[in-house]
Amino acid sequence: MFAEESPDWNPDASSSVECELCGEEPATMHLIRVVEGRVSHTHLCPRCAENLAEQTEGLALVLALPTVLRGAKARAETPAFSTSKSREEKLCPVCGTTSSDLRESGLVGCGNCYQVFGEQLEVMVKRDVEMIEHMGKVPLRGPETDSLRHEIMRLERMLRELVAHERYEEAAGVRDRLTELGQRLQGDDE
Amino acid sequence: MKQSTMTASAMVLARNDADHRFPHVEDRDGLEELRSHVTGMLKSDDWGGAWQVYELDDLSAIDLAYLVERGLMTPRFADGLGEGRAFAVYGDGLASLEINGEDHLRLVGFRKGDGLESLWPLLNLLDDRLETAVAYAFDPAWGYLTASPARTGTGLRVYATLHLPALMLTGKLASIGLELVKHGLSMAPLWGGAGGVVQVSNSARQQGPESEVVRLVVDLCAEIVEKERSVRKMLLRENPLQARDQIGRSLGLAQHAWTMTFSEAVNLISAAQVGLEAGMVEAPGLGGQSAFELMTKLQPAHIVVEHMDRKVGCLENTEIDEVRARIMREVFAGACVR
Repeated sequence: MFAEESPDWNPDASSSVECELCGEEPATMHLIRVVEGRVSHTHLCPRCAENLAEQTEGLALVLALPTVLRGAKARAETPAFSTSKSREEKLCPVCGTTSSDLRESGLVGCGNCYQVFGEQLEVMVKRDVEMIEHMGKVPLRGPETDSLRHEIMRLERMLRELVAHERYEEAAGVRDRLTELGQRLQGDDE
Repeated sequence: MKQSTMTASAMVLARNDADHRFPHVEDRDGLEELRSHVTGMLKSDDWGGAWQVYELDDLSAIDLAYLVERGLMTPRFADGLGEGRAFAVYGDGLASLEINGEDHLRLVGFRKGDGLESLWPLLNLLDDRLETAVAYAFDPAWGYLTASPARTGTGLRVYATLHLPALMLTGKLASIGLELVKHGLSMAPLWGGAGGVVQVSNSARQQGPESEVVRLVVDLCAEIVEKERSVRKMLLRENPLQARDQIGRSLGLAQHAWTMTFSEAVNLISAAQVGLEAGMVEAPGLGGQSAFELMTKLQPAHIVVEHMDRKVGCLENTEIDEVRARIMREVFAGACVR
């Protein structure tokens, strides 16, 4: 009852994939086309994907998945990532996963990998220029500082939005709350 | 037939134990230790027998396929290999738990029809209770840590199954798929695209509180279904003869075929459903069941388990197609286009 995941659902940040139609732009869309029960996969840039979508007629079903090869785009924008420094082989001391393992399988081996390969992973998963912090549920059992840090991040984001919308009065309230939480966090760390 | 926005709703919540490496690198002893710890906890009195725990070795290929078809198990887990795997069903099928698949724990919830908004509170509650026994791998910036970095964050994947034959027929699904991508969602064919049944899910590293992710999927799906309805009306208004012809032919096949593949059955039921919703078709044999419920029951493992006493060990057996055709004949006996 779950649709099959795309076979190359692999956040590979090492290989650049170009659009299969124009061959110029990086492919950031993965299109699955089902024609009479046969499934074909194409990697396209957004412009070619839209053109193809408009041309589709009849019983062809064109479906789009955001390809996780977004890394290609991020690399083009961050020259530092393509230098030899990023090619340096890192090793997670807890589980033994290496940078190449990660590139090959798209999987990390343990929680510690997120510290070791942080930079590489950010490039792999980030959606915009800015890395977005976790905004969802937090573990009940985690140390209080975790939920405190999370709350601070949430409020900081709220503060930025309020300032951007010139809602200064509400922003002041959020700022006060942030100061208070910041002090509590410092108290915890000591 | 009932008219709900969604044909089916599902959710998968991924969690990992902070004290073990992720399943694909953890050694046998580590996985076994975790498996026995988790299954022991599920069987404990605290849960009052709410969980039915299965060892993977005790489940046959038919059992696994049946669980997948019922939405209790993901196909990846059913196809997976590895040490220390186990599976548990909560409350007679309200939810289930995959142990040591790609992640240490994956909570799965499935409902026919609309149900995403009620699924999250249940999964959330079960998650809180599981957490009393397992220290979750969590990072304040990344969120819940998973083996696949693409799932890290909330660890939540929401699935909405939609029946969109008119959008598929008119080639409009492509542009809808592209629009969904902009919201971090994706669309994929459920049964190879048969009957215009597709599944929308949040595939990107979705940020924001879980309830907002659920709301986003619910809202966008409601818009898509609205489009489907208006395209259907347009098709029926502009091509009344062809529409009637297509639907009538589908009923004819449903009533007179002696062997039928699953995907053909889904296509025929899909056409009949369009006719029913437009008030063009009468099908007394359907009773209160939805088109999707009927499609579900016609999947191969459902037929083997529910109609053939599990006497067939292979899901490619042609007898299954014969039984399926018989069920279709019975259900659509007396059905007609008005």
